[in-house]
Amino acid sequence: MISRRLKIIRKKWYTDNIFGLEFNYPGLRPLPGQFLQIQVDEGVDPFLNRPISIASYKRARLLMVIKVVGRGTKMLSAKERGDQVTLFGPFGRKFRPKKKKSLLIAGGIGVAPLHFLAEYFCKHSVNFDMIYGVRTNRDFILRKDLEQMADNTIWVAEKGYRRAGTVVSVVKKIDLTDYEIAYTCGPKEMLIALQKLDMPIPVYAFCEDFLGCGCGLCLGCAIMYRGEYKRICVDGPILELGGIDFEV
Amino acid sequence: MKCRIFGIDFKNPVFLASGTFEFGLIYKNVSNRVGAIFTKGITLQPRKGNPPPRVHETACGLINSVGLENPGVEVFSRDILPQMRKLKTRIIVNVAGFTPDDFVKIVGELDSRVDAFELNVSCPNVKKGGVAFGRDPDICAEVVANVRRVTKLPVIVKLTANFCDPLIVGRRCVEAGADGLSLINTLHAMAFDIDKKRVLIKGGLSGPAIKPVALFCVHRLKDLGVPLIGVGGIMSGRDVYEFLLAGASAVAIGSATLRDPYAPLRIIKELKRLTTSG
Repeated sequence: MISRRLKIIRKKWYTDNIFGLEFNYPGLRPLPGQFLQIQVDEGVDPFLNRPISIASYKRARLLMVIKVVGRGTKMLSAKERGDQVTLFGPFGRKFRPKKKKSLLIAGGIGVAPLHFLAEYFCKHSVNFDMIYGVRTNRDFILRKDLEQMADNTIWVAEKGYRRAGTVVSVVKKIDLTDYEIAYTCGPKEMLIALQKLDMPIPVYAFCEDFLGCGCGLCLGCAIMYRGEYKRICVDGPILELGGIDFEV
Repeated sequence: MKCRIFGIDFKNPVFLASGTFEFGLIYKNVSNRVGAIFTKGITLQPRKGNPPPRVHETACGLINSVGLENPGVEVFSRDILPQMRKLKTRIIVNVAGFTPDDFVKIVGELDSRVDAFELNVSCPNVKKGGVAFGRDPDICAEVVANVRRVTKLPVIVKLTANFCDPLIVGRRCVEAGADGLSLINTLHAMAFDIDKKRVLIKGGLSGPAIKPVALFCVHRLKDLGVPLIGVGGIMSGRDVYEFLLAGASAVAIGSATLRDPYAPLRIIKELKRLTTSG
């Protein structure tokens, strides 16, 4: 782990509450699923850093896509190009995705880490399809990029005008035996619904939560996994969906 | 920066508090440069810890409810302690018992292989033992006296300021043979989820929010005649200096490492600058 104080070289609003920050960060070499801890403010309020997944890392340019959900992310959204931010990381287990035909299932802001996985697959010539669901048609982000990278894509919005539905309703309809493995990231309700489908292929979930330290020190981000508590920050964030007990 | 406390030499008075640096094995380069490390609380039996949510951010700090998750004394002694002993720092084991007998058994198991013991009579995140007997001067004195019989190593008691006067408990612990006191443990705290109209978390508050309380407690106990370890919201060398002024002989860094695991190194540097320039 290293910490760096870096200048924001680009800021972009994708929707009215999702924005991206770009940094020039040579030598980071992250793997899919890994994340950075962003210090919101130099003062002690807010006290904890915000864990943000890596959405893209190409030619030393790091992109993090952030949704405003509370006070910390709201403060981060006020930062502009040229402002400096302290980043810690990368954190998260070094998970090397299998190079097999894959299905990526994204819900909402969960698309961010899967976008980076898509980049990884392109780099390693792995074929993959993508299902991406959001609330309304205005909520899609990084859509063109994903269309270019994936073999096939299905976009779905709960209140969509062309294809109304959810990623779960799409997954139910498609032939999953076309794939060897699936990766998913999205809201907890979506993960629970996917788990209930009992898909015939291994499914890996990119877990998200409020974290304490992000690096294994505080045992704050416990998740019940195959009968024991695991730490999302160091044992995850990528865990096999079937092993997670969402009831605990 | 070297200091001698409880008859032991420490390379500096900046220690790592229990529970916020695991066993010091993740960031060894930090562990190797602090005066001592207090281990995570060790119980007699392994503990899974509390269900999530375990941390909740508050103004200038956080509430935690980890619930003493740890592998138990047997696994700690066999698998973790040998690795810790390779660190270039002093090891102080935080002993978390649920009965007076637990403390004796854990200390007996680890005696002579560590540098000192910190008796955790004040964890707010467990149902039995913990803070309930941390505020009972008789039980605390009994625990200290019993432990005193099985070890010659320094025995430190970690005190609570929850619903009690640490001076009363601290005095009894010293009379019973405690070599030092750590204060304070986290403060009882809670938060609600207003959308679901229910409790979000109940646990211990830490971070800069509790620093003034910790300073007050250290200052209140400064004349007890034993070294005090100040704990609570230390973020900078200036904060350490405040605790030293209040009467502490050393300090322990807790929540600051959750924000930046390398914070202790910065704090040591800042303290060095303050003490040499003054």
